[in-house]
Amino acid sequence: MSAPSVGILHTPGTNSHVETAFAFERVGASARYVMMASLLDGTDRLDRYDVVCLPGGFSYGDHLGAGAVAGARLRWTFADQLAALAGRPVIAICNGFQVAVRAGLFGDGVTLTTNLNGTFRNLRHQPHVVDPAAGSPWLAGLEGATLRFPCAHGEGRFLFESADGWRPALRYPPGENPDGSAEDIAGIVTADGLTFGLMDHPERAPDDDTVLEIFRNGVSAAR
Amino acid sequence: MHSPTILKFAVHRSAGDDADPHLRREVADLRSWRVYYLEVGSTPTDEALSSLEAVLADPLTETVRSGDAALLGPGEVQVGYRRGIVDNEHDTIVGVARMVGLDAIAAKVSTVYASGDPRLAGFVASEACNPNIEELHETEPHYDTLSPVGEYTPMETFDLVSMTPAQLAALGRANGRSLDASQMEVIRGIQVRTGADHVSDVLIEALDARWSDHCDHTTWKALGGLLQRLIDAARATGNPNIVSMFHDNAGVWDFTDGHAIALKAETHNGPSAVSAYFGQLTKIGGVLRDILGTGLGADPIGVFEYTATGIPGTESVVRGRPDPARIAVETVRAVKEYGNTFGVPMMWSRMTFHPAYRAKPFALGGSVGLIPVADAARGVPEPHDLVVLIGGLTGNDGIHGASASSAGAAAMDATSVQIGAPLEGIKFRGAIGDLRDRGCLRAVTDLGAAGLNSAVGEMGDPCGVWIDTALVPLKTHGLAMWRILLSESQERMLLAVPPDRLDETRAVLALHDVRGAVIGSFTGKGSYRVTHGRVGEEEFVAAARRGVVPTGTDAPGTSGGVGGELGFDVAYDLLEWKPEPRSAGPTPEVAPPRHEWPPVDATTPASVAADTEVADQSFAALQYDSSVQGLTHYGPLEGRGHGVATGYYASRPLRASRAGIVFSTGFHPYLFDVDPVAAARQSVLSALVTQSLAGVARGDVCLCDNFYTPDRAPFSDEWLVAMVEELAGLSEWFGTPFISGKDSSAGSTDTAEGVVSVPPAVFVSALGKVADVSALRPEQWTRSGNHLVLIGPRTPALAGTAVAGDGCGGE
Repeated sequence: MSAPSVGILHTPGTNSHVETAFAFERVGASARYVMMASLLDGTDRLDRYDVVCLPGGFSYGDHLGAGAVAGARLRWTFADQLAALAGRPVIAICNGFQVAVRAGLFGDGVTLTTNLNGTFRNLRHQPHVVDPAAGSPWLAGLEGATLRFPCAHGEGRFLFESADGWRPALRYPPGENPDGSAEDIAGIVTADGLTFGLMDHPERAPDDDTVLEIFRNGVSAAR
Repeated sequence: MHSPTILKFAVHRSAGDDADPHLRREVADLRSWRVYYLEVGSTPTDEALSSLEAVLADPLTETVRSGDAALLGPGEVQVGYRRGIVDNEHDTIVGVARMVGLDAIAAKVSTVYASGDPRLAGFVASEACNPNIEELHETEPHYDTLSPVGEYTPMETFDLVSMTPAQLAALGRANGRSLDASQMEVIRGIQVRTGADHVSDVLIEALDARWSDHCDHTTWKALGGLLQRLIDAARATGNPNIVSMFHDNAGVWDFTDGHAIALKAETHNGPSAVSAYFGQLTKIGGVLRDILGTGLGADPIGVFEYTATGIPGTESVVRGRPDPARIAVETVRAVKEYGNTFGVPMMWSRMTFHPAYRAKPFALGGSVGLIPVADAARGVPEPHDLVVLIGGLTGNDGIHGASASSAGAAAMDATSVQIGAPLEGIKFRGAIGDLRDRGCLRAVTDLGAAGLNSAVGEMGDPCGVWIDTALVPLKTHGLAMWRILLSESQERMLLAVPPDRLDETRAVLALHDVRGAVIGSFTGKGSYRVTHGRVGEEEFVAAARRGVVPTGTDAPGTSGGVGGELGFDVAYDLLEWKPEPRSAGPTPEVAPPRHEWPPVDATTPASVAADTEVADQSFAALQYDSSVQGLTHYGPLEGRGHGVATGYYASRPLRASRAGIVFSTGFHPYLFDVDPVAAARQSVLSALVTQSLAGVARGDVCLCDNFYTPDRAPFSDEWLVAMVEELAGLSEWFGTPFISGKDSSAGSTDTAEGVVSVPPAVFVSALGKVADVSALRPEQWTRSGNHLVLIGPRTPALAGTAVAGDGCGGE
């Protein structure tokens, strides 16, 4: 049986694709970059892959707002491909999470905005607690665990107006919320648990087997 | 057909606002928001407009006003780039507008500031508007079009042979140039030897930049080959790890498993004195491009930054320049924005407040890169290879950056400052790696100081090269040929591409959304030739026949041809100029140490801890991404609160390998006040001792020097020569070579209080390698219960220490 394929979206400004691919390959997947130019000219498609990842970076230089342009591209131009991903694991990390939010993957009642302190936070050993009720294949077996991996974002303050279409999956421990996210929420999943969005960077801790379990879980869910 | 219509959208935050906290300290009720202008060719539908508004604003936290509601009102001022300068966001906005169904032609971005304070306009003009690239409006501006417009300015010619010495000297200094009499004589000689009736402003400007201290290291050459002294010392070490040194855009050091690491640091002192934000932004961008332009394209895997400026709370000593506090704030913002966006981990950052840097800061940026050894040699173009310019558009920014920075900050105006655009850089970073691995590159270099002139001129030597400036994609229309040649517009790289690899090159560039244009070819004729438009170029005709370049002279995106002008065509050996040699005297005596020092008592620990040289600077470092790429093993911040700066940084550049690099620095700003040679020695030792304590073998460490010295202070030359000699001696003694470096010898600035000079100083960075990062020792005092042991000689003097207090180190 061939290794599950992971398509890692690469927009102009993506900067975390290499380490993300490495993390997926460490757990046995076959990772490929899906270039935005290839999506636009039709030579590649997101729904060609078993798992899809929207990685970190500054898509389109954060022009018009973090994730705004790539999110609009997905919502407008590739809505059919997003719909075809139903039933497949999707992970959206940092700027990828911002893209996913602007693309509407978690409904229209959530947003990620400027950190409460007004600037970027770089915390290499940021702790995160997996919500016991996460109910996501990405976090299977990790419920209640504390995972340490880097936080590196300036616009990761999670706010919501509606709880439709998502639920919390990951929280910052009390008093260790780096961005002012509502209810210390560090990551969320869709109602089916298959799409997981988080601001921080598990792919930057490839030597931590517990953190790597996130990627192993996602790939396993696609087998 | 509809005439173009210009729409305006204002994006307001629902809660809070975007005003810079630094600005709000002055005007408490200051608010700000972004506005977007969009030029469309046909009437938009309501559906398309609402779709665009949904992209422009976050639906939960922002609202969009359009039409009359977006126009500038009372108590509001608006700042945007001047006409003719294209915003970095231009292409993105036009692309999005087209995506949602608008017939978009062009776009423009501005920022509105609002306050009830009657000082608003004056305050924004002085604090948030750079008048040489931006304009401030107190009423709604009227735009006929947002597209750049302008007429090409023909070149000027001068018959130097008929000029008097006085006329020659005046011409050398005209237009902001810094050419002296001996240099003008060489240019006159070129006219004579080529039998020409005249020389053009293009040649004069090109040589002004080529012979500037920044590009040609004239101070170092005049003092008798200082660079060669460091190179000789490096050779004397016999260190087998040297792959290349002082030859390429970065020094290259053997690493492991067929890979090498590149090291480079540069200063951007002059531009940072004029605009700390843009100066520091492009400092980081420039040094990252240096890495990309090393060998056939190294990949940046780490960045570092150091800034010394005056004491916060003091005024700027040069009218119109930012004060030290503003420089500090804008430095953090710029380093954060460029480094984080580019996606390279911050290895080390530090800021010093020192009164000698009040006129012109020490703005140092550095980077480390990874490259296969097989691709690590500097590329050599071959005849008929194509000159391909990639990345950002060329504009009117950064003109005279090289010569003005060499002449001292007082000579610079803000047009010498470049506008950074990290998105372009990160796009071609990916493309260059792919092009290298596919064998599409014969050579690659970055465009930095003196822009195309430096990059093309150096890459074409000695093969010979021709470029047509009419083929250069522009963002500021109407640029004269010399301006296109010298523009320091950012985020551009130059490639030498074999003709049979052009199609593949274009495909790779398109995949990464990178703009690329063939602007000439390598000729094999040994001359440097610059034209604008077709001038009977056999290379051009041949290239056009192959479809490589547009056959018309008015290619889209270019300034168009005017029938062709020959800027110059001069053999490389005629372009040489040697500075008048001068000899330095003996090393000056160091002033005797002071007899009285501040008392060491119970208050000393607190005052030392509060000294900015010692204090926690995590406020800045916590804003710089140190974990991107997933390579970081140790540093730059550790501890439970991420607030303890480590002495060194370590990472694993090859993810599947345990092999690591170790980075450390040495710089003692207050000690340089007292004894520059001792401080230089101390800087080398600090960097090396840190490596040794971490567990790196001495022979596995390479060094980079960045001199920043005054040019109008007593004994400037003597201290410089003595410091170079000290570094060379230490390099030989330890077997640890300097493989890269840069000298800035323009550390004296005219100010309202007279000439202000920086101390003669050199910043030392060290890069080591280890087989397994697991063997590295973390600093022991990060754990409780460890003993502190002081070793080595002791001195009764406190010169250069925090105990001595700010500036107390020197008499």
